[in-house]
Amino acid sequence: MIDAATPLAHLDLIAQVTAEFAHTRDPKGSILSGLVRVSRILEAEASSLFLLSSDGAFLACEACYGPVDITGLTFPADKGVVGRAVQTRKAQLVRDTADDPDFGTVDVDGQTGFVTRSILVAPMVVGDQVLGALEIINKSGPDPLFGPADQALLEVMSAAAALAVHNVELTERLVEQERLTTELHLAAEIQRKLLPEAAPGDFPVHGVNVPARGVSGDFFDIIERPDGRIWFCLGDVSGKGMNAALLMAKTSAIVRCLCKGEDDPGRLLGQINHELCETAGHGMFVTLVVGLFDPVSGEVALANAGHEPPLLVNRGGRLLRELPAEAPPLGILEDAAGPEGWPVSRFLLGRGSLYVFSDGLTEARPPGRPAGKPGGAREMLGQQGALALFAELAHLDRRTRLMALVEQVMVRDTPAHDDLTVLVIEQDQP
Amino acid sequence: MELSVNDHGNFAVVHLKGDVDLQTSPQVRKGLLGLLEDGRRPVVDLSAVTYIDSSGIASLVEAYQTARKKGLSFSLVQVSPAAMRVLQLARLDKVFTFHDTVEAATVGA
Repeated sequence: MIDAATPLAHLDLIAQVTAEFAHTRDPKGSILSGLVRVSRILEAEASSLFLLSSDGAFLACEACYGPVDITGLTFPADKGVVGRAVQTRKAQLVRDTADDPDFGTVDVDGQTGFVTRSILVAPMVVGDQVLGALEIINKSGPDPLFGPADQALLEVMSAAAALAVHNVELTERLVEQERLTTELHLAAEIQRKLLPEAAPGDFPVHGVNVPARGVSGDFFDIIERPDGRIWFCLGDVSGKGMNAALLMAKTSAIVRCLCKGEDDPGRLLGQINHELCETAGHGMFVTLVVGLFDPVSGEVALANAGHEPPLLVNRGGRLLRELPAEAPPLGILEDAAGPEGWPVSRFLLGRGSLYVFSDGLTEARPPGRPAGKPGGAREMLGQQGALALFAELAHLDRRTRLMALVEQVMVRDTPAHDDLTVLVIEQDQP
Repeated sequence: MELSVNDHGNFAVVHLKGDVDLQTSPQVRKGLLGLLEDGRRPVVDLSAVTYIDSSGIASLVEAYQTARKKGLSFSLVQVSPAAMRVLQLARLDKVFTFHDTVEAATVGA
């Protein structure tokens, strides 16, 4: 026969209560109904559920049963017998409150007129995390003092209660995460629409952008002027993720707006810098290359603000000209360049191909490239590796070539380490 | 990455060691801005930096901008070749003040 003084006497109750806690979506309501049942079985006068605030500083009564409603009562997490149970993570059995030094530190009786004689508290612990405590007060009946069997029963119940609260918190976090993922997808979709649509195959300028994490800190744009000249730009915002993506969206809007009234890339960078310096924060900056290509004369005018050097190569992939930055990125210093803006390089495209790209290309560690080749054996591709790829793919038309370049560089099915953006400018010769 | 600070009068020499990237740059940012908040003049020793990405550069840029607003000095010393390559490529050598030694950066400490 099971001894009534052991928790096994209440096996049915424990089984029912834990089963309910496991499925509940309303942990406070379920725990309260469990407390009511335990209070009735132990002939206790009152019981309460206390939860710890997220910073661990306070305990608040979230549900209670008994003659006085103390729901909402909040006190420092190291006060009272409940605070002691939470701090020590051990059940507290106070047979006579008059003898307990911590009892008076939270004066509930004084505020409510209730008289607390004896207390049993069990902390709610999951792993190394303490979430709160269950408390039962004033046992009545023939043996009016809480005993070890009562403590064991409350400890079992508070362990199950802790799991119930923890489960619901996890579920809520998961829902929140899903909501954020949905928003991220939406942001990525809107961002993709900021990029220009694919141009016809014979158009001299083509670009590609592959974000590493949904949203991109890189961007490019291609804008045809009414006079037939073509603006092209490629930028990279410092950092990654949503803040980089927002600054990217802003910069691309500024470029699009300002390039319509300007035909000098150096001055254009100066104006963009002015706009970004007014509002950029947290040290964020943008490296940006802008160029103006004249398909009639074949001339390119290009300015580079702190960006990786664009490369002019011949169709065999040999480097003809490098266009390193001669002034810093945008958004850092209002007076970073002189009144004429960033220095401009002017050159004829001829039969060459001009590649503008982000460090997602040169810092990529592409798979499947044999050791010994530049960028082989999982080393960073670097400028030499990029040149080797341009040469290998030179026989393809511009649009196909960029797609093949992406294929070669990106690690399929694994997240890429950085956004990858490439522009190619060249002219079909008669 | 490791960050340690040594006092040189009203200069604070901040030693960075290892990779300064997306994961570690918030620590650099917090450390440098905290010093500037206390009116200290940071001298950042980059001799042991093995890699720095654009988020790491951004934390240095933010400290530089904050120092300028407060009228405090901010300099980089003993920049490792890996960090210098990145700074020069982006022409940030035109933005920051560089010194070869901590002594040169803390004259008048």
